[in-house]
Amino acid sequence: MIQFQNLSFGYSPKKLLYQNLTLEIQSGSIYGLLGKNGAGKSTLLKNMAGTLFPVGGSVIVNGMVPQTRKPSFLQTIYYIAEDVYVPALTIKQYKNLFAPFYPLFDSNNFYRYLTQLEVSVDGKLNKLSFGQQKKFVIAFALACNTRVLLMDEPTNGLDIPSKSQFRKLIASVMNEDRIIFISTHQIRDLENMIDNVIIVDDGKLLLHASVADIADKLCFKTVSEIPPGARVLYSEKMLRGTAIVMENTDCDDSGLNLEQLFNGVTENPAMAKQIFSTN
Amino acid sequence: MNDTFNLSRFGLLLKKTILERAMQIIGAFAAVLAFTFLLYTLILYSLDWGPAQNLTFIWGFIGGGVVLSSVVFSYFTTNAGGAAYLTLPASALEKWLCGVLISGLLFCIVFLSFFRLMDYTFVTAYHNGLDRSSPLYRSLYDHVYLYTFLDNNVVIKATILYTNFVGAMMVGSLYFNRVALVKVALVVCGLLAAIYFFNLAVVSLLFSNVDVAFPYFTVLIKVYSEVGNIELPHYAYDITNIFLQYVLPGILWITAYLRLREKEN
Repeated sequence: MIQFQNLSFGYSPKKLLYQNLTLEIQSGSIYGLLGKNGAGKSTLLKNMAGTLFPVGGSVIVNGMVPQTRKPSFLQTIYYIAEDVYVPALTIKQYKNLFAPFYPLFDSNNFYRYLTQLEVSVDGKLNKLSFGQQKKFVIAFALACNTRVLLMDEPTNGLDIPSKSQFRKLIASVMNEDRIIFISTHQIRDLENMIDNVIIVDDGKLLLHASVADIADKLCFKTVSEIPPGARVLYSEKMLRGTAIVMENTDCDDSGLNLEQLFNGVTENPAMAKQIFSTN
Repeated sequence: MNDTFNLSRFGLLLKKTILERAMQIIGAFAAVLAFTFLLYTLILYSLDWGPAQNLTFIWGFIGGGVVLSSVVFSYFTTNAGGAAYLTLPASALEKWLCGVLISGLLFCIVFLSFFRLMDYTFVTAYHNGLDRSSPLYRSLYDHVYLYTFLDNNVVIKATILYTNFVGAMMVGSLYFNRVALVKVALVVCGLLAAIYFFNLAVVSLLFSNVDVAFPYFTVLIKVYSEVGNIELPHYAYDITNIFLQYVLPGILWITAYLRLREKEN
């Protein structure tokens, strides 16, 4: 479990990005962290990984304080940054040098993930394309079997088949003890993969809800006319009518559209808060 | 689990640190040794044995140490590189010790061995090339001997500078994420200039005809055409020596450790 208790963080003491953020992240879930550029997604991840320190409040990851960066903590967490760092080593050399730091590293799975992601195993890692490097890092991170996996824009640079393969891999490695936290602004990449959504904007937590809860409270559909009296969180003119996100009062079961949800919540945070605060 | 120091984990880290960037570290070593060799040769042929041995030792030892220490913590040039380094499951003490071992112990062993070998080769070749029947043989032979590392004032002073500059470089490379070597050099030069001018102002109040006013052992005054060195009283010299030999490097090297612990990325 990851707990943020009154977390305050800012790159400058005068201008705080997050103020008194309180949030609880449960094990056994895949979280999608959505936000605009500069909304503070990476900052939140770095606070969990212990590479940035809160200026107030605390972050506790499975009972440990990330900012102490103790080996016993770092063995349980893997953070994939948005850009990629790979040294001038072959895959085998990299595995031999880095894997011993992770006691639960599974070598067989590592090579299986590489095959599934179609990563070329020949040559030095720094000579691979950005997408191949990214896939390599993802495969290594998954093979480390850490309890917490933090990924910052993991699908950036991946081609379409790799994105699909990535989703399958993430689903296959999930278990009850694990937390996978994915930050992205490429919302469609997360659809059908995550089971919890967190939306942040300008350092504020706008939404934290499970996919089931969202489906229960919101209805996503395309209509020719907006129903009178409906509480519409978001609407967008389309070729075949108007796509709307509205409060689900009739217990309709509609598919989740993360992009529309994100637009609705960021454009109309007060209404989103009202809808999600009711039982 | 020991979260402060674990010998097997430290061994893994040292191996990883060296092999991960083997070309960078070996390249830095090779460049320093090549520079040392060239400098020795150039000064020897343009000046004499004394300046060749002394200047090469000073520049190779201090310059090489600084270059190496700028490499050992140079993970922070990219966000991902810094994050990968900070989140690698090893303690800050182990990571710091790795840097210290490479830029401190390993560099000293390699540099001093190379310098001794190079000096031995040159000096032996010189001695063997002398004409034994010449009446000047003895004086020419005695003109040069192997450079001694013990009881050598230049080596002592160079070691003081080495420990201080390497410490400053390690601290600087953890503060400046990019082009740390240049930035630290600028800061150190600025600091030395400020100390120099401050000292010059103080010394000028006490003496006239001040020639050079660098603190510690190079405050010189000019009396007509002669230049004299103003020495500190023994007790003050000893205190300054202890400060520069142990206290300041200690502060710098420990600051590097503390900075690594608190480093954000």
